[in-house]
Amino acid sequence: MSTENFTSRIVKALNSWEGFLLLVLVLLFVGNTINSPFFFTLNNQINLFQLSIEKVIVAVIMTFVIINAEIDLSVASIMGFAACLFGWLFQSGVSASGAVVIVLAAGAILGAFNAFWIAWVGIPSLVVTLATMIAFRGFARVLVEDRGITGFPDWFDKLGQAPLVGPIPLSILVFFVLVFFFYIVLQRTVFGRQVYFIGSNRDVAEYSGINVRGVQAIIFTLSGLISALAGLLFAARLGAVRGDAALGFELDIITIVLLGGVSIFGGRGTMVGTLLAILIVLNLRNGMALANITGHIQTGVLGILLILSVMVPNIQEWIKKLRKLGKGTVE
Amino acid sequence: MMVAPILEMKNVSKHFGVTAALSDVSFEMFPGEIHALVGENGAGKSTLIKAMTGIHQPSSGEIWVDGSARILRTTQEAQVIGITAIYQEPMVFPDLDVAENIFINHHSRSQFILWNDMYEEAEAVIAKLGVSLDVRRPASTLTLAEQQTVEIARAISLDVRVLIMDEPSASLSDNEVQRLFSIARSLSSQGVAVLYISHRLEEIFALADRVTVMRDGTHISTKVIDDVTNESLVTEMVGRDMEGRFARKPSTATGEDMLTVQGLSKNGVFSDISFSVEKGEIVCFSGLVGARRTDVALALFGIDPANSGKVSIDGVVAKISSPKDAQELGIAYVSEDRRKFGIAMDESITSNITLPMMNKYSNSVGLIDFDAESRDAIEFRMRLNIKAADLVSPVGALSGGNQQKVMLAKWLNTAPRLLIVDEPTRGIDIGAKAEVHQILHELAAEGVAIMIISSDLPEVLSLADRIIVMREGRIAGEFIGDIATEGNVMHLAVGAGVQMEFA
Repeated sequence: MSTENFTSRIVKALNSWEGFLLLVLVLLFVGNTINSPFFFTLNNQINLFQLSIEKVIVAVIMTFVIINAEIDLSVASIMGFAACLFGWLFQSGVSASGAVVIVLAAGAILGAFNAFWIAWVGIPSLVVTLATMIAFRGFARVLVEDRGITGFPDWFDKLGQAPLVGPIPLSILVFFVLVFFFYIVLQRTVFGRQVYFIGSNRDVAEYSGINVRGVQAIIFTLSGLISALAGLLFAARLGAVRGDAALGFELDIITIVLLGGVSIFGGRGTMVGTLLAILIVLNLRNGMALANITGHIQTGVLGILLILSVMVPNIQEWIKKLRKLGKGTVE
Repeated sequence: MMVAPILEMKNVSKHFGVTAALSDVSFEMFPGEIHALVGENGAGKSTLIKAMTGIHQPSSGEIWVDGSARILRTTQEAQVIGITAIYQEPMVFPDLDVAENIFINHHSRSQFILWNDMYEEAEAVIAKLGVSLDVRRPASTLTLAEQQTVEIARAISLDVRVLIMDEPSASLSDNEVQRLFSIARSLSSQGVAVLYISHRLEEIFALADRVTVMRDGTHISTKVIDDVTNESLVTEMVGRDMEGRFARKPSTATGEDMLTVQGLSKNGVFSDISFSVEKGEIVCFSGLVGARRTDVALALFGIDPANSGKVSIDGVVAKISSPKDAQELGIAYVSEDRRKFGIAMDESITSNITLPMMNKYSNSVGLIDFDAESRDAIEFRMRLNIKAADLVSPVGALSGGNQQKVMLAKWLNTAPRLLIVDEPTRGIDIGAKAEVHQILHELAAEGVAIMIISSDLPEVLSLADRIIVMREGRIAGEFIGDIATEGNVMHLAVGAGVQMEFA
């Protein structure tokens, strides 16, 4: 490979959204490392992951939902419901391991409930999941009311916190396994291809013989299942559940995915983009915390970043449109 | 007629890129006349209307109103001068009532809506049309014809002087058409110039004072209705020069039926459709917009299945209720609307070509064999001469003709035994068109049954072994390709009532 070729490839890579995110991430790493000696330690890296691990796990499946040109607002409510159902079952005398299985099944069922209205009845996912966001949160609060439930078995609490492989806890392992698995599914399988085409042009997908409803049903059911898993990890990490567990997480999750370059109109985005966005958000928050920047300002900075992330693809789109207009189109 | 014209089109041309949609069109409209505009699909009627109503600006030429040149930049500017168009599909706000719809773009004299005044005025406008309609009814409860009346009333409330009606009768019943005619006549008696566009020649003879014929973007003639006949109109509409015609090729039909359709019907769309296509045969479906040819194709492809009737493939009755069913039977449908139903513009050329056949490119767990995909894509690029720098770019980056070829490649890749192509060459240049024709001939020679829906008569005449003409959801007749002429196909398509030459 000639050097010229190599440079042009780098330029091309940086020109893509993922390339841009990678650049931001590298700058963040450098800045944070210079700023604080604690930043680039394994403990800190594990810590920064663990604080948001439930959100980033759900972001993986949300990537599928949004590429498919849909949205799932009910994920945080399913997380909260899953945590509360676990606590309630445990309190009612079900063994913790049995409760885990029941909760995962319940998550898949709630996801399938969303899928039914969206894929078969044809109601927009924004409306369906807005309604179920409220309803599922209601279930969670009914189950646990205002008091918290604690006192889970040791092994369960440890799942969320204790090192499992070397210094790495289970939840982080789960995350990386999921990212890898869903990277393969999205970028290298027929199913992933179908997800892109449905998001890009649903009619074309249908005319090409793709089972659009089936694909959507699978995605929303998986979304419910993985949200329930994240809810369980949340309960394990905190060692307690409350009716407001994971309240409002859906917005953080969706914004991470959008920052990763997934188009809200569907059809565009990659798992790599989502992973990079996750790393950026986590490292930015952590770096600011290490620099003693308060939480409110951190949130503000993240907000600005997200606005930028939505604007940049739009600006590219506008430029494209202007170019097309300039050329004129044949009717 | 010494009255001065209201509207004059003076040498109006309109180009889109290199394509001339209108070239040097001139004609005028006088107050109180009903002026018919006829021409084949693609003759430039729609572009002309768009130029008159400010949607398009002419590339050259002038539009004169009341004896002075005017530049119409928007539909609002056209409306202020008194030029308004209504279309086949009325544009009304379903949740607003009749009166609100009539006065939708009036600027109120006060800051508040004076409801009683509005209803009174609405009634007065409706009365002018000589019809009765409750002005308080929500538009969603109106029939299509009544919605059209509302649109006309809206135009009158804006002091319309030139009213353009673009195929207003296409979806109306006979009674409703008569009512529309009486509205048009009452408007003309009040001095409004009506431009009436219709494919139905009998309507034109019943209604119009003068008739203008357009063809290929040019003005052919404007005559008083008494000076034209059915024959002369049709001849002027289709009589294009013969140089551009593609040579016919000998038929490769095998005499063995691939597809047999018997009594296929869909409520309110098409009825009693029966025909067959042989292996290696090219059957073209001709007809005007609204003849429901595409609906028949969509039924055969399982997108919008028919209510009754029988479809047989190779003599075996087939049940087709989804595109997947159709594909498994070896049917492929190449849509007329590339953007909407054909290919996903943001996805790569390769992935578009392989989309319906992903099973061929994946293993048992669904992992894609990218090499196999790109091998086949490269092969199609060569076979169909697709001009693309690389095959991983989005299809949207290609020219229209090349996009068309990608769409064709996508369906050829399914190795169809019955290929249905809907308007295969619309909007692509002459070179690509010849290539597409060549490919269709090759496929037929390989024994593929080919069904082509085309509104391009020369194309139909050069490709078809057999021509089936549809009109208003029914089969109007059938011709052997060799003996068909543009004139007799057109006669059948418009229902001009001349002798049918059945094959």
